[in-house]
Amino acid sequence: MARSARALLTTIGLAALAFLLSSCDVGGLSPIFPDPVSPNGKGIYDTYVGISVVAIIVFIGVEAALLWVVLRYRRSRQPAGYMPPQVHGHTGLEIGWTIAPLIIVLAIAGYSFVELQKDFQPISNQEMTVKVSGHQFGWDYDYLNGVVVHQEGSLAAEVTPFVVPTNTLVKLQFDANDVIHSWWVPAISGKTDAVPGYDNFSWLKIDKPGKWRGECAELCGSGHAQMQIIVQAMDKSDFEAWMAKQKATTASSSPSPS
Amino acid sequence: MATTVLPRPKQYDDTFFKPISIWLTTTDHKLIGIMYMVTSIISFVIGGIFALIIRLQLSQPNLKLVDAETYNQLISAHGVTMIFFFVTIFVTGIANYMVPLMIGARDMAFPRVNLLGFWLIPVAIILYYCGFFTGGSLNAGWTGYTPLTEKAFNHQTFGVDFWALSIIVWAISGIMASTNFLTTIVALRAPGMRFSRLPLFVWAQISTSILLLIVGAPLAAAMILLEFDRQLGTQFFTTQGRPVLYQHLFWFFGHPEVYVMILPAFGLISEIVPVFARKPIFGYMSMVAALFGIVFLSMTVWAHHMFTVGMNTYVEGFFMLMTMLIAVPTGIKFFNWIATAWWGSVEFTVPMKFVFGFLATFLIGGITGIYLASVPVDTQLHQSYFVVAHLHYVLFGGSVFAILAGIYYWFPKITGRLLNRTLGEWNFWTVFVGFNGTFLIMHTLGLEGMPRRIWTYANPAWATTNVIITISSFLIAFSILVLLINVVHSWGHGEIAGNDPWRGNTLEWATTSPPPPYNFERVPPVRSFMPVRDLRESGELIEAEPVLTPT
Repeated sequence: MARSARALLTTIGLAALAFLLSSCDVGGLSPIFPDPVSPNGKGIYDTYVGISVVAIIVFIGVEAALLWVVLRYRRSRQPAGYMPPQVHGHTGLEIGWTIAPLIIVLAIAGYSFVELQKDFQPISNQEMTVKVSGHQFGWDYDYLNGVVVHQEGSLAAEVTPFVVPTNTLVKLQFDANDVIHSWWVPAISGKTDAVPGYDNFSWLKIDKPGKWRGECAELCGSGHAQMQIIVQAMDKSDFEAWMAKQKATTASSSPSPS
Repeated sequence: MATTVLPRPKQYDDTFFKPISIWLTTTDHKLIGIMYMVTSIISFVIGGIFALIIRLQLSQPNLKLVDAETYNQLISAHGVTMIFFFVTIFVTGIANYMVPLMIGARDMAFPRVNLLGFWLIPVAIILYYCGFFTGGSLNAGWTGYTPLTEKAFNHQTFGVDFWALSIIVWAISGIMASTNFLTTIVALRAPGMRFSRLPLFVWAQISTSILLLIVGAPLAAAMILLEFDRQLGTQFFTTQGRPVLYQHLFWFFGHPEVYVMILPAFGLISEIVPVFARKPIFGYMSMVAALFGIVFLSMTVWAHHMFTVGMNTYVEGFFMLMTMLIAVPTGIKFFNWIATAWWGSVEFTVPMKFVFGFLATFLIGGITGIYLASVPVDTQLHQSYFVVAHLHYVLFGGSVFAILAGIYYWFPKITGRLLNRTLGEWNFWTVFVGFNGTFLIMHTLGLEGMPRRIWTYANPAWATTNVIITISSFLIAFSILVLLINVVHSWGHGEIAGNDPWRGNTLEWATTSPPPPYNFERVPPVRSFMPVRDLRESGELIEAEPVLTPT
């Protein structure tokens, strides 16, 4: 009895922990990504939620079956001298639990594939293109108009922000000139690797002004942790003003051609 | 029926403390198996100490307990040690000990290849650790992605070279062991031990060996090409070459390696559940089919580690689908285990507790695997702490829990003595709580954007979670200490087990504990996949003369 009580207590503890994880968003324990600010991030977020619905049902169902075995079929709960039925299998059941997971994973794969086609295809209708280049240890953002933002890596809380206008479809083209880096701002979208010699791309369309943090996600050497990212979205008019200022700075600092 | 009891050679006393000459030169699969297991447990302790240093460094933001370079070497050494030198080596060792016994053979098919295969492992381990004593070991993670491991970015030390050489030696050893297992199982089965009567642990070893035989060579090839780049100036994986080609070669080995570590664990679970539930395994044929389904599928999924490098979305879709399909054979195994225990008379001994610990935690690893297989979701989760949590749920909550179950289950066969039950209970409950405390909340760090392999972080929001993880990780360390004390104590002073303490089903329980060098005085007749149980029920089981008698 003492042992089954302990098993029960453990289960209740774990259930409480799971509930805590699924309900609280404070104290750094979040069961889900930050609120997405770009449509591709929203698509990923929704896919995650969709898979979670199925995952939680399967998790609860299977753990409950395990718990039932622990509580009901333990030797101390069976009558003395109980001889279990010597079952060697059941074709119907075995086919059943082959087909059911198959249907579930095909559904999840199909659902994910639709999202993959929607948000991960190459785009050509961008309003602006930025070339993002990773190096040891920092990021360069080339706006292809002479302006380049150098986001040098640092362990300090702030690094130079990469500035984009809001509600503008920006295509990001990735490149690296030494080792592999990976650009990741969770609130915007997933990761994109910057591999030397390979073309890779992503895009963003941020719906409100603000600042979002990210980090390099591919181990790239001793300065890997410094490669922090800050993306700052500004209203279009603010962005124009910022860009004009950058152009002026670039013009004054670069040597005159004549 | 009278039996002749052969005199036992002196080297077969029950103690671990034999003359060193016996340990160095023995071709006995059982002693080689013990050496594999002891080597792997030493690696486990070393890798665990690395993990504790890593956890201390991450316990608070902006800590500088170790510097970035040392940290990168520690995470690499932790991964390499645990994967290559602990889990794979332990499952090879326990199979080396048990497979010939379970099929009623006298030894492995190639005893001297077995000996060489084992001794290559300490060579591989020492080669890897040479890096630490020559200025610095591998510092690019256990995956060693190029171009970071190329000469241009990694020329200060020989760490990468020592790692590559170590892995080449390791792969050769693995290929030798796999060949040996397959030959043994095909050629040396006892009369009556048809393929349809092989214990599921042996089937698991067949599938594991096939897998390692196929994927060991591409791994060695990747390492050789990397060394060509570093030492001969070729450009296979350099910035001017094709860094992504390395990832393909590495993961063509790297993903099946996961199954090399988990299939023997599945085999162990399939042996232990029927014994303690007092029911035959549910769906023997579908269990075997599921093993080979996993073998096939596991070689078609490697690029799911590369969803962020920028592949065609249809190629990504293919790898996503194949990855998710692995849930089907794994699900069959899972439901068959539950069905085996259903209606049973389940005795929750320590090994059975670890089996249920395995089932409860491995399920979580399987479910998070579905999230990671989904390409869009993976682009968020990839290379974050979510992945670290997932891989520990399958490797620790899966393989290591099964290994612990195996240790408690087969220790009496190997030593003739039971492990202490009270210490075993402590071991189970502390590792179960410590493990979940460490890795369950680690998922949330990844969701919040903490990448793996960063040596420090500035974000104060991650501090609370990290400190809870660090405290829990020390509970795991305490638990492993309890296990080690239990093993060392019980080896000399444990309760005498007798030949068949659990009323087992398979042939190893028909011989003495520990078994003699020739394994069986008479190989018992085999009439089903539970030969010892058949004999017990028909009254034909001849108790072998016990080796250990209470003093």
